[in-house]
Amino acid sequence: MLKVVGMENKDKSNMGRDVIFRIKRFDGEKSYWSDFVVPAQKGMTVLEGLYYIKGTYDGSLSFRASCRMGICGSCAMKINDKPRLACETQILQLNSSKIKIEPLDNFRVLKDLITDFEGFFAKHEAVKPYLIRKDDNYAEPVELIQKPEELHAYYDFTLCIKCGACFSVCPAAATRDDYLGPAAMAAAYRFNIDTRDEGRDERMFMVCSDVGVWRCHFAAECSEVCPKNIEPAKAIQKLRFQAAVHMIKKALKRW
Amino acid sequence: MDLLKWFEVRGKSLFYISYSLHRITGLILVLYLVMHLSYLTSLRFGEEIYESFIATTVTPTFLIFDILLVLVGVYHGVNGLRLILHEFGLAYDVRRPILYLSYFLVLVLWLYASYKLYVFIVGV
Amino acid sequence: MAEELHTRKVLEPLGWIFQLLTGLLLAILITFHFFETHLIAHDALAFENVITRLTDPAHKVMYGLLLASVSFHAFNGLRAILLDTEFGARNTKAINILIVLVILGAFIYGLGLLFTF
Repeated sequence: MLKVVGMENKDKSNMGRDVIFRIKRFDGEKSYWSDFVVPAQKGMTVLEGLYYIKGTYDGSLSFRASCRMGICGSCAMKINDKPRLACETQILQLNSSKIKIEPLDNFRVLKDLITDFEGFFAKHEAVKPYLIRKDDNYAEPVELIQKPEELHAYYDFTLCIKCGACFSVCPAAATRDDYLGPAAMAAAYRFNIDTRDEGRDERMFMVCSDVGVWRCHFAAECSEVCPKNIEPAKAIQKLRFQAAVHMIKKALKRW
Repeated sequence: MDLLKWFEVRGKSLFYISYSLHRITGLILVLYLVMHLSYLTSLRFGEEIYESFIATTVTPTFLIFDILLVLVGVYHGVNGLRLILHEFGLAYDVRRPILYLSYFLVLVLWLYASYKLYVFIVGV
Repeated sequence: MAEELHTRKVLEPLGWIFQLLTGLLLAILITFHFFETHLIAHDALAFENVITRLTDPAHKVMYGLLLASVSFHAFNGLRAILLDTEFGARNTKAINILIVLVILGAFIYGLGLLFTF
């Protein structure tokens, strides 16, 4: 008898089973639900399931994806009511025979699972998420020195992949389109506490505004859903304290 | 209605549920504050009118509202203290144990206050 | 986008900090208020007892403090909720002015009661 390598240890429950994908669709005018059967294998991700559906049943199913390894931040979507990265969510680990897939909340849906990220990126840009130096000299660049502990102070916040999961669960973002949101403010905090940075005043202009830190009331759901565990809620609390001190100091100086 | 998203808790964690409840209890307490302050005007009209107000509101029938109001107040207070702690940037890393502790505290304080109220009004 | 996104207000950080501080104060004062009126004496709500408390200087100070912090905390909280909406974003100034008036109104109304007795 032919022996298949690894077959003797194979557990029947891991062999795979059929799972129904219930996907919320939008064609530009109306939204509706489509159900598809996906033969899931152990280790198969939701993203692979979506590719299977696109290849086998319906080529018009639209979703964003790129790296398939949780670093590009393209494939965040609502899977069983929680925003997750489709490429890092395994079908069988969800432990349900029916998987509900919807586009992210708080974003305008363009088609099926694709949402409009333009505003989200514009907000990111608005907080100036880059090093601002007074002595920029590109002709003769100098090395900027930093101690390891100074790096560790902000390192976690550099891991953001801008997937939009935090923004999609934020209650303040749900009712204010112009609210900066957790990702942008975490980025602002990351650069504010960077010892090499000298642009805190410029950044505070946005952060202290009506659309900035004052709209956060610590629902802390952003930290709960972040696929990179960068804890935007923590960044915003610290940033708000910074902002309050900054604004009061400025007001006193003006007097 | 977009405002209902504040209370959309499907798939959300207990942190988000606390946020929703904090908002609802806050609004209830604002309404109660207005009622409470208006009620006090009865003091101006002398003893008889004030006592007749008390006779209708401090009764076993109103006890259920009192007990619910205490729950709302205790919840808003305890959860608020938790929020104040975190909004000052403190104890963020132990936010989960503190969250569970706050719910436990709400339950204990509420049961204690309700029992005392019951004794006070019904008089066992 | 950046141009339309900003409106600077120095009162925002003060509003936030006082919301937290009055919150702390209220946790203490309301607990005390509740104990005094409901849990210690059975006739605490009788007319003459209420009047006695209202005429006592120490109580006057306590009630004044309670009144000031509760009016601020309640209506500043309401302001935060209103400003969280698109409606609030369009009418920020009107809401801020209205809320200040309501806070002052509640405070003056309460003081009126406090000083009648």
